[in-house]
Parts: sequence; structure tokens; C-alpha cells
Amino acid sequence: MIYLDNAATTPMDEEVVGRMNDSMRDFFANSGTPYRIGLDAKRLIEKSAESIAEYLGIPSTHRIVFTSGGTESNNLFIKGLCFPDKKTAFLDLEHPSVTESLAFLKQFGNEPFSLLPFQKEGRLDLNSISTLGGERVKLLCLSHVNNELGTVNDPLQIISALAKESPQTKLFLDGVQAIGKLKLDPDMWKGLAGYSISGHKIHGPKGIGLLIYDSRLVLNPQMHGGKQQFGVRSGTLPLPLIVGLETAIKLAVARTEQTQKYLQGLCRHLVQGLKNIQERLPELKICFNSLVDGDVTRQSPGMVNFSFPPVEGEVILHHLEEKNIFVGLGSACSAHSKKPSRILMGIGLSEEQARCSLRVSFSHNNTTDEIDQFLEAFAKAYQALYATFLHKAEHR
Amino acid sequence: MTDRRTVLIRYDEIGLKGGNRKFFEKCLLRNIKRVLSGTNDIIYRSPRGRILLDIPASLGAECTVRLKTVPGIASFSIGISMAPDFDAMADLGVQWIEPALESVSSLKFCVKTRRSAKSFPKTSPEVNFEVGSRIMTKLSSRGLTVNIKEAEYVLEIEIGSSETVVFDNREPGLRGLPVGSSGNVLCLLSGGIDSPVAAFMMACRGCRVHFVFFDNQPFLGRGGYDKVLSLAKKINHFQARGTLFVVPFQDMQAAIRDHCNEENRIVLYRRMMYRIAGEIAERHGSMALVTGEAMGQVASQTLENLAAVSCVTSLSVFRPLIGMNKESIISRAKEIGTYETSIEPQPDCCSVFMPKNPVTRSKIPFLERDEEKIPWQELQDDALTRMEIIKVDDL
Repeated sequence: MIYLDNAATTPMDEEVVGRMNDSMRDFFANSGTPYRIGLDAKRLIEKSAESIAEYLGIPSTHRIVFTSGGTESNNLFIKGLCFPDKKTAFLDLEHPSVTESLAFLKQFGNEPFSLLPFQKEGRLDLNSISTLGGERVKLLCLSHVNNELGTVNDPLQIISALAKESPQTKLFLDGVQAIGKLKLDPDMWKGLAGYSISGHKIHGPKGIGLLIYDSRLVLNPQMHGGKQQFGVRSGTLPLPLIVGLETAIKLAVARTEQTQKYLQGLCRHLVQGLKNIQERLPELKICFNSLVDGDVTRQSPGMVNFSFPPVEGEVILHHLEEKNIFVGLGSACSAHSKKPSRILMGIGLSEEQARCSLRVSFSHNNTTDEIDQFLEAFAKAYQALYATFLHKAEHR
Repeated sequence: MTDRRTVLIRYDEIGLKGGNRKFFEKCLLRNIKRVLSGTNDIIYRSPRGRILLDIPASLGAECTVRLKTVPGIASFSIGISMAPDFDAMADLGVQWIEPALESVSSLKFCVKTRRSAKSFPKTSPEVNFEVGSRIMTKLSSRGLTVNIKEAEYVLEIEIGSSETVVFDNREPGLRGLPVGSSGNVLCLLSGGIDSPVAAFMMACRGCRVHFVFFDNQPFLGRGGYDKVLSLAKKINHFQARGTLFVVPFQDMQAAIRDHCNEENRIVLYRRMMYRIAGEIAERHGSMALVTGEAMGQVASQTLENLAAVSCVTSLSVFRPLIGMNKESIISRAKEIGTYETSIEPQPDCCSVFMPKNPVTRSKIPFLERDEEKIPWQELQDDALTRMEIIKVDDL
């Protein structure tokens, strides 16, 4: 099997599985109980949180809250802080857990200010930050790394622009696709109101994530109950998932630099390979929807998104699947759901370009040999399907 | 109170059958035994007009759930078998009514008797009076009154030739005819909302329904296949022993798309589906095809297009939903538990195969001319050779 959809999820690291297994056996007690075995569980969770803070350089000004994943972290921070009437802004290219949380606030008259007209190739244009003051925006919500394009919104640049142009606007970043691919600069926390992380995107378990936020902010809890985690997120803490997440973060952070270089190599290999196929097949016209220039302040090395009209991405995906190669997609080919990717359309692609695209995302487990196999299968599938789709395009 | 209960099962239209009645009753009894298999200690009896189960009291709830999945049952009640002794029957009534009186100041009740053993010395109204008056003697002071028309509590008594059953509950069944009493049919299952409902309705007319799915995994992935597996399993729950035939259809679809008139595509796909389904039905012993089509619901379901697809097979084509509107179909799908699966987003046809403007009134000679352009017989044979056959019970 060749797995090239690591932006969707990643296989768990053996070390993570091992630690989770041990903790499930050895620390079953509820960390909220007052007796020794409960206190042992509590102590282990606290140690994990401390380790996570250390790995990511999180200062004591910020709190770490364990959630069920990136979606919950984004919901908790946005709704918890901005309900009902704190004004928000976004690029409108974020993950649905951000855009839908903001859309939820609309029903209370709190319409988010869209910076989409100011995007450049999927990133926030820093010049647009001056508009936030006039709109009295209190929170700017962005992806650190875009989940379909891999484009980066660089925290330090945005924080410094906000300080100058719109000091009343706080910054929230969805960091789900960033950890392990980009090195987090500890300085960013000073200007960051909130940041979310998910376990399963970094070879950790599913069902666990983090919200890291400035402890001076008051968040309205979205989950009520036993008042665990400062009362912000009730619910018995899932110890095995927490130690699994801690291990995954430890491994991801320790190998970030190495991973970055390795993934950049894979990216270059893929892009060059696609260009070679393009030279060989006159009918193939590839358009790269994300930059691949090696600048990690602009582009995550883990992802390549490209279009190849007139062949639809979803059909190529299923043809690759037959060869046991798995890649990602942002749009659907269903006769019922004809909506192509909101993000690709958002950066100005035509409906056809958006529909005829694939997202290939890597992890350190992938090899150049696998990329070669993907390239060969892609070229074959494209050739086999080209006539069919050309026919369809002509009938339009 | 005894730790045994009697389930009294009334059946629906079987009661109307003359000479075949025994056959229908046997079918129903076999189906009931099947749904209750795995539960121990049940004694089955079938006196005239009823099926009686003697079960341990602890099995009551489980039996209720399972019997509600058996076509052919009109309704059933769980009660207690006893000798037709008025004092004993009244004692049982008092025992059951007393708890109901605890939370109210008054309760209207009546006794209803059905006497199939005409040799019993009292008439039904007389039994009602004998038992009812004994209960009233004990409970009238606590607010119990007799009211036949607006009774809030009905104590029922069935006096049969071999035994008498007393009960105070009635659960509705699926009605219809027992599966297996009408033979086999083959239903074209798409993964949408309609075809599972059509299959269910035929199962309730006594048919054992088999399923055929036209698959296009290279273009659509395995999602649609998994969905159909799950739907077939849900329908099979009402009948057992169904078979699912999965026909690889991508080559046929590609040939039609590449060589035939674009506007005719959908009707041509469907004509091929009907032909292949007809062939499967004949090879595997189904006597008719079943589809989820409803008049005018989509472009392929106009009168002309339905006629254009039906004529390719000599088998009867049953369309139990033909006169139903979408809302009624959806509410049936919810009742039988297929709706949630049907609405899972899975493509049922890739846009590359869809025409821009499908024909709504196709003309058969034009369709036939289109079909001459493709080696459909070869493609059909190839699809049938590569067909997967799945026993739905094994899923």
C-alpha cells in the first residue's frame, strides 16, 4: 500500500501505540478521584501537559486544554470567546470547523469579516490587516497551514503586523496541519490568543487534540459537567490518549527539521516527476495550486495540490485506489454533490480546475520509490481517462 | 403468577385463503420459528386461525421486538393461558388493573371476549359480564367504572377449542403475507431511498426478495458497494435467505457513453440493467423484477421511459412505489430503518457518465439503433461472468 493522504490522517507511531497500551493497563483510575491510584493518573496527565508545554515552547501565560481533536478545539475557542457579539475575521479558506463555528455566530448577528478579497495564493495579504481596525475586529481566525493547499500564514509576520495596524485584534491559529512540518517559534505565543492541535495528524491517536490559549481570556465552556480543566472543558480526562498525544508531539517536534528537509525532497521529486510526465504527454496540462519554492514561511513541505483538467480528481483517485495507492481530494464527482472545493474556488480556480485536482500529502514514512509508483499510475490513469473526459468537455 | 406467557399471534390475509390456507400458515410458522431461533424453551402451537407460543415470561420483550419483523402477522398479544374459569380470570384481571389504579382516581374499563370454541356454554357477552362484574365487585370502590365505548383499559379473553388466553395488550405487526408464500423476485437496488422501500413492500407481499446492484468501482470507489451491502442486510432482516448479485457495470456504461446518443444514455443504461437483471432472475429462479421507480420522479421515470425499459425483458416488472409521492416513500424508509443509510452521501453515478440533457420521452426505435452500435450481448456476458454473488445472511 502506498499512502499519500497524510493530511487526512496518519498511521500511529509504534512508540505511541506502546505507551498507550501500557497506560491503558496500568493507569485505569479516574484522575479526578482523591485516592492514590487516581492521584497517580492525575500526576501522569500533569506530567504529560508539562512535557507538551516544553516540547512546543508554550509559556506559563498559556493554558493547555485537552479536547477531542482539532474540530472541538476550534469550536471551543471561537464560540467560547466570541459568543455572542465579539467581531471576528477570517480568510474564508479555513477548515470547516473554523468557518462553521464562525457561521454559527451569524445567527446572533455576529457576521465574520471576510478577508478573502485580500488573499494572495491562499495566504493572508499582510497589507489587509489595516482594514481590521475599521471593522472593530476582536479576533482574527486563520489556518497556520491550509489543509488543502499547504499554504502558510506565518504567525510572526502576522503578529507584528497586527501590533502595528490593529492592536485590538487578537490572533487564533488552527495549527492542525503545521505541527511536525514547521518549527514553532516560541516567540509566537506572546502574540497568540489561541492555537489548536490534533493528535491523529502527527502519528498520534484519533479522538484527542489540544487547545492552547492565553489564560487571561475567559472562554465560555461548550461542554458542561464536572468542571475538569479549569471548568473550560468538562469530562473525565482520557489518560491513554493524552500520553499518546504527548509521545506523538515529542517525536514530531524532535524530528521537525529532519522531516522538513525530507518532505521538501519528496515534494521536489513529485513536482519534477509531474513535469516530466507533462513533457511526455502533450494532452496533460498540470497547474500547481500551491507554491513549491522551499520557503517554509510560505508553504508547508508536506503537501502538493495540482489540477489537470479535464480529468476529474475523484475518478483518478479511484483508479489509483485500484493500484493500492491512496491520495486526497478536496472535491467530489457525485452526480448529487456537484460542489467543488470551496478552498480551490476561493483562490480563484475555475470549477473545472477545482474538480480536476488532487492533494498529495506526505509523511516521513513515504519514499521516492513510492512517489515514482504514484507518478507511473497517475500517468497511466490519466491517459486511460483523457479521451472520456475530453468527450464530456466537448459536449458541454 | 406463572412464569410462562402465551403469545397469541393473529395473522392477516391468510385468514382469507381457502384451500391454500395450510400452506400460508406453515410459511408463517416457519418464519416465526426462524426469527425466534436462538431463544430456548418456546413451545409452538397452531390451533385454527391463530399461532400460539408458550414462552418463558422473561422472553416477552425480546419476542415483541422480533415478531415485529415478520411479514404476515397482523397483530399479537402477550397474555396468560388458563382454564376458562370466571373466578380465576377475574382474579388475574384484578391483579393487572390494581397497579393502574394506584396513580389515578378513576379508570374506565371493559372486558372483551372472543369465543372461537362455540361449544363453550356461555356467549361472549355473557363471559364479559361474568368476569367484568367479579372485577367490579373488588375494584369499584377504588374508582373503576365500566365503559365499553371509551375504555382506558381493556381486558381481553380468547376462548379457543384447546385453551383460553387472557391478555391486555395488542402490538401491531407488519401485516401482509408470510415471506416465501409468493416465490422469488429480484430487486434492482441502487443505494438510494426508493429501491429498499420497494424491496420491503414486496417482502410484505410474501415474496423472497433478492437484490442486484450495478457497480462502477473504478469511477465511484467502494462507498456505493458498501452502502448497498448494508441496505440489503437491513431488508433481509425481514425475510432471510436473500442473495445479492453485484454486477460490474463500468465497461457497459463506458461503451454506451462513448458510442451512443448522449441524450439516450440513462435509458440505455437502464435497458441494459433490466436485461442483465432479467438474465440473473431466470438463472437463479426469480419470477419478476422489482424497482423503486415512481411515476415522473426523475427524467428516467416518465411513462415513455418506463415503457422503453420494461420492454427489454419478458419478466413482469413490479414497481410498488409507482403511485407514491416522495414524502410517503421517505416516511416508509424511516419506518423500516433504511433511510439513514440511503442518505449517506455516496455518488451513484459519476458525472462523466451523465448526459447534459437526458431524454424524457425516448423512442424505442432510436434506442434500438443506438444499441446496434455496441456489442452489448458480449458486454452483458462478460459482466455476468465477473458478477459477485453474496449470500446476505452471511454478511
